[in-house]
Amino acid sequence: MKCFIGIDLGSTTTKAVLMDGNQHILGRGITNSRSNYDTASRVAKQEAVVDTRMTLCRRGLAGAAGLEDGLDDFLGELERSFRLEQFLDQLGDLEATCKTQITGDRFAGVEKEVDAALVAIFDELRDTAPALFAPGAKRKSDFFRDIAGAHYLQVAEKVAKEAGLPYELLLNVYDKSIIDVENRPPSEDLTGKFVDALVRVLAATSGDGRDAGDIEQRVKDALAIELEETFVVGTGYGRVTLPFSKEHIRSEILCHGLGAHMMYPKTRTVLDIGGQDTKGIQVDASGIVENFQMNDRCAAGCGRYLGYIADEMNMGLHELGPMAMKSTRSVRINSTCTVFAGAELRDRLALGENREDILAGLHRAIILRAMSIISRSGGITDQFTFTGGVAKNEAAVRELKKLVQENYGDVTINIDPDSIYTGALGAATFAHRAVEDGAAREGVQA
Amino acid sequence: MTITAGIDVGTGAVKTALFDVDGDETKWLARCTLKIRQRDPMQLAAQSFDSVLADAGLDRDDVAYVATTGEGEAIPFHTGHFYSMTTHARGAIYLVPEARAAMDVGALHGRAIRIDERGKVLGYKMTSQCASGSGQFLENIARYLGIAQDEIGSLSMQADEPEKVSGICAVLAETDVINMVSRGISSPNILKGIHLSMALRLTKLLKSTGAGNEVVCVTGGLALDPGLIAALEEEMAEQKIGSTVRSHPDSIYAGAIGAALWGAFRHEKLARLGALPKAS
Repeated sequence: MKCFIGIDLGSTTTKAVLMDGNQHILGRGITNSRSNYDTASRVAKQEAVVDTRMTLCRRGLAGAAGLEDGLDDFLGELERSFRLEQFLDQLGDLEATCKTQITGDRFAGVEKEVDAALVAIFDELRDTAPALFAPGAKRKSDFFRDIAGAHYLQVAEKVAKEAGLPYELLLNVYDKSIIDVENRPPSEDLTGKFVDALVRVLAATSGDGRDAGDIEQRVKDALAIELEETFVVGTGYGRVTLPFSKEHIRSEILCHGLGAHMMYPKTRTVLDIGGQDTKGIQVDASGIVENFQMNDRCAAGCGRYLGYIADEMNMGLHELGPMAMKSTRSVRINSTCTVFAGAELRDRLALGENREDILAGLHRAIILRAMSIISRSGGITDQFTFTGGVAKNEAAVRELKKLVQENYGDVTINIDPDSIYTGALGAATFAHRAVEDGAAREGVQA
Repeated sequence: MTITAGIDVGTGAVKTALFDVDGDETKWLARCTLKIRQRDPMQLAAQSFDSVLADAGLDRDDVAYVATTGEGEAIPFHTGHFYSMTTHARGAIYLVPEARAAMDVGALHGRAIRIDERGKVLGYKMTSQCASGSGQFLENIARYLGIAQDEIGSLSMQADEPEKVSGICAVLAETDVINMVSRGISSPNILKGIHLSMALRLTKLLKSTGAGNEVVCVTGGLALDPGLIAALEEEMAEQKIGSTVRSHPDSIYAGAIGAALWGAFRHEKLARLGALPKAS
């Protein structure tokens, strides 16, 4: 099968979209970019392939006996089981890496204790892992670094106390190891993990007139379909570092404009709030960029602002919106700098303001900055599309809708649930066009 | 004699110092530092308070005055709160009696404070409303590089070609570090570059308070970073300031010390005036 891939190498997350020859999206993948860019784009691409395999499994399993009504549940189980396999794999790598760090003066005399503490920590992490991937489980993030990191910090505090070791020492072992683990290319054996996951799911959910042999065959067939990387286009903050030639790279402004156009062809204004930049883009009827504005090099008003606040409150990024929605009055936040806003947040909490109201104020602050960027790019014209990670945040959306209405009146506001992939979608579309245009040219020549 | 505790709640750590004060006689009984990193500062404050009491073999009832500073005003068991400018000034004089300026380098702020021989604040300047080049910035980068706090200084001092950093957002710094690492710049050169840019800002602050020819005591969480101290000395020589930089092993406690001593002072004054609140 011919595949066209777009990779958006952002500062905080890297996204990939895999498209077939008919411009249908088969899979989307995301990872954090804190490792090196090369690995990040490889992981994102692999994640998109995993998602594509899920799409192909869904197609292959359609009509399988006993799955008629339960297909969604079954696929959900299969994916969770696969994720657990992946998580345990990386956890094993992290443990092994942590153990190699116990050297030098800092550990002199406590090597054995630190080793035993690590064993205790990782045993507990492994024991609690299945619960993280249980149906309906709440996770603060889907990224290994975040999930494993948060749990490690928690368990390490307890273990350090019991073992009489400094908490700092155990934290440092983790800090030293996580980058190595993240920078290690992921194992390519997806099929093996899928099959292991499938076996576990089939064992756990027998009966209901299912033909396990038939299901297994259909899944294996879906896994066997060859995915041919026909053309890859990279974009985003780190695009220049990609090992791609020039014709495989497009600017992120172009990709966001085109991606938004693909989702909503009538889009004229795009607001993209990403991890470290906020863009206001004006596009024409065919998705070509006419004008744009970006923030300067400061995290205030970007996704990282909310990420930082979430860390401060020890909450998951996607818990912020729902909590802010419960506010009754918005607290005015005076600090511009993200780090200072974090301190202001702590001050206000200490003074007894409630979390909901402070969060509402923080969301308002980020949208106010975005509004000024949009106005500098040329204002809002109908239709307006909000993209990027923050578009998923209902509290940010609520503030945006309010401010758009106040400043520009009634305009259609589009928000796609997969808006975080807008840049990658634009890139994949460019990849598709590059091949089509090439084919068209060859046709003319012939 | 007055048993007094000072609790300094900072952005990075909670510092607690326990003193026994009798007029000009001060005896430091116990100390405790707890790093915050995603934990509740108020809980840590109580924990560190109990820890110094246990070290000194005392009970909460034995403490006449619990003085807070930094962000410690909300600690439920505090007697009084002191502004961090005054506590750092007092703490600096306690640690380095000949100091006539304090340079407080914490996680968020850099401050230069000119002080008289009794620890009174004569003037001060603070960094602005952006955390680029703050202690937090340095910590973010060190954490990304997998370097422990106490390794930063010695690595920085091995730098041969420091990488200049200027005005990078503390939050976005990680991305810049990834770029630096991918450009092949070594950890020592990255760290030294940050130290130098911090030193430049701090020296400018000191200059703007009108100081220039005195002993400067560095206080706060970064006072123990020999890389920063070395960079400050280089920068002062560069800007032709005749000040001498001094640090002290207990510099991180400056705020807590100052709070405890001011607390004792206030308590003794109230006692003399017979105005102490009655024990409940």
